[in-house]
Amino acid sequence: MDIAAYDPLNETPYQILDAQGKVILDHWEQSLSDSELIEAFKNMLFVRQFDTMAISYQRQGRMYTYPPNLGQEALSVASGSVLQKTDWMVPSVREMGAWYMKGVSLKELFLYYRGHEIAQRFEQANRIMPITVPIASQIPHAAGVGYGIKFHGEKAVVLTFIGDGGTSEGDFHEALNFAAVWKVPLITVIQNNHYAISLPVHKQTASKTLAAKSLSYGMPGIRVDGNDYIAMHEVLSGSIDYARQGNGPVLIEALTYRRGAHTTSDDPKKYRTQEEEQEWEPKDPVNRLRSFLVHKNIWNPDEEAELIEGYRKEIDTQFLEAEQYPPHSLDDVFAYMFSELPPELEAQKQEYQDYLNATAQEPQK
Amino acid sequence: MDKQTILQVYETMLTIRKFEEKALHLFEENKLRGSVHLSIGQEAVAAVVGAYLRDKDYITSTHRGHGHAIAKGARPDKAMAELMGRETGYCGGRGGSMHIADVEKGNLGANAIVGGGIPHANGAALSAQLRGTDQVAVSFFGDGAANEGIFHETLNIASIWKLPVIFICENNQYGMTTAVDSVTSVKDIAVRAAGYDMPGEVVDGNDVFAMEKAVKKAIKRAQDGEGPTLIEAKTYRWKGHWTGDPEVYRTRDEVEEWKTKCPIKRLEKHMQDKKILSLEQIEATHTKIDKLIDEAEEFALSSPDPDPATVLDNVYYEGDK
Repeated sequence: MDIAAYDPLNETPYQILDAQGKVILDHWEQSLSDSELIEAFKNMLFVRQFDTMAISYQRQGRMYTYPPNLGQEALSVASGSVLQKTDWMVPSVREMGAWYMKGVSLKELFLYYRGHEIAQRFEQANRIMPITVPIASQIPHAAGVGYGIKFHGEKAVVLTFIGDGGTSEGDFHEALNFAAVWKVPLITVIQNNHYAISLPVHKQTASKTLAAKSLSYGMPGIRVDGNDYIAMHEVLSGSIDYARQGNGPVLIEALTYRRGAHTTSDDPKKYRTQEEEQEWEPKDPVNRLRSFLVHKNIWNPDEEAELIEGYRKEIDTQFLEAEQYPPHSLDDVFAYMFSELPPELEAQKQEYQDYLNATAQEPQK
Repeated sequence: MDKQTILQVYETMLTIRKFEEKALHLFEENKLRGSVHLSIGQEAVAAVVGAYLRDKDYITSTHRGHGHAIAKGARPDKAMAELMGRETGYCGGRGGSMHIADVEKGNLGANAIVGGGIPHANGAALSAQLRGTDQVAVSFFGDGAANEGIFHETLNIASIWKLPVIFICENNQYGMTTAVDSVTSVKDIAVRAAGYDMPGEVVDGNDVFAMEKAVKKAIKRAQDGEGPTLIEAKTYRWKGHWTGDPEVYRTRDEVEEWKTKCPIKRLEKHMQDKKILSLEQIEATHTKIDKLIDEAEEFALSSPDPDPATVLDNVYYEGDK
């Protein structure tokens, strides 16, 4: 698709499938093969199991804070699957499917959510940066990676994620300006899940779409239904082609909805209605792709239960492995910033070690 | 623009021009220390904005802010004293060239940090909105600042909250030594307004009448509760970024070409054509402003330096004295 031909101010998202999984375009040719679509569906299903189970582990006190992905699986799995091995990914926090498709192992993810910094090396995955918690700080990194790609004359692209809230940050502006000035091969996917923690998107910006932010930088921008795997895949592929050919960056606004909480420490009932949540239920990405496949007679939903059973076993095995991993030591806190620890940090480390030693000797009250 | 306003804008532009020429002269004679950032060539932007704002309206300004201060009602003598670090200056000599604040006239202060004054204008506008007044706030900033994150954050909030604020980007073609098109992804900074769903307008910043039209519209919009406007005034600074700038990043031909677009000469020609002022009256105005600036110089030179014992004054709020 010609990504530059779209109007970023168009509020109607690019969409292929309706909520019932029926194709809404008059002239549409399926570009992905049936087996690719089945594979994508399975991956979304898998990610959803991971997500559900991660929340359970957290609730059981076996994992720290976790940001649920429920309802956003289509855009993340699509984003991960369009990248080649030599392409870069710069994560945000809520696109587990993309990391998984890039090769990140579940064990590493579980380790990360159990507080192990080392897990973010993502040793099985190629060219992926660590998960970035400070809002929008990853966008300048991604622009920098893009500049690096260009500097080295590679044919690669870099894809990064940001939320609707992140678009209001100065880093977003500075990074996209430079990405556009230098024409770096950067694809920025805004996951517009309608809430920045508790702040609804209509209080986040006055612009009609978030894709409209692209106008400020003179780059193509497009709003797409992020819960429509097929539409998402087409938009991503078009954007990557555009960037890979040296035309510069693209901004994608993927409309979606965070069906779960912001994190396991959040209660969305405090800031949104049940009616709204129910409104989004039928637009769920997994159900939608399933309906499409069932209509096409290439998927039998009765097989899912067994599939899910297998997924859950695999996920649990990897979690148990992560749980067996030795507890993180004091060294870990200081380990990954400097190759040689500066004297101030060395002193801090010693001070903390002394504190730990002292408290260990205190009798339990 | 009525005749009286035309004359006011003209005198303001002339005052800014001669004030800055004097400041440069004093700097070169080593009587004014530090540095000065001159807005010579850009006077129309400040003068027109100043003419349509009232004392109770707010502005926030930049390192290149002498013109903004004067247009908003600052007296050349107290401003010159501030540039020279004298006790009689607007900030008691503590602020210098880049930090003139004149709160009584609504000038909340110049700010040497690029983009630093932009959010302050939002705050002033929010205050006006909360108090239910018809005051507006204007933020001046340069083309370089339009690439700063704070520009983005401020315009975003201003548009959501429909604040009575006007963002005036003085695009003088260079962020210090950096040509605007080498660091800005769009040809016109005004198009950035679209990302915030606010109107954006490109204006010939050396044309007082073009500025008038845009500024009036933006003030009306702000006062009608419709929210902010972004105005990009295309202009040019004739002098270096600062007094020690060797200007190796641009050609003399370019500078000379822009001098032919001098906003003051343009208005003088218009006034003569329309018989608003005769050549003799124009010359008389020059003489009048020359005198005003000479007095400002004299006032500043004869003013005392601040007493070293007061060096810690005004650092922390010590209660109403």
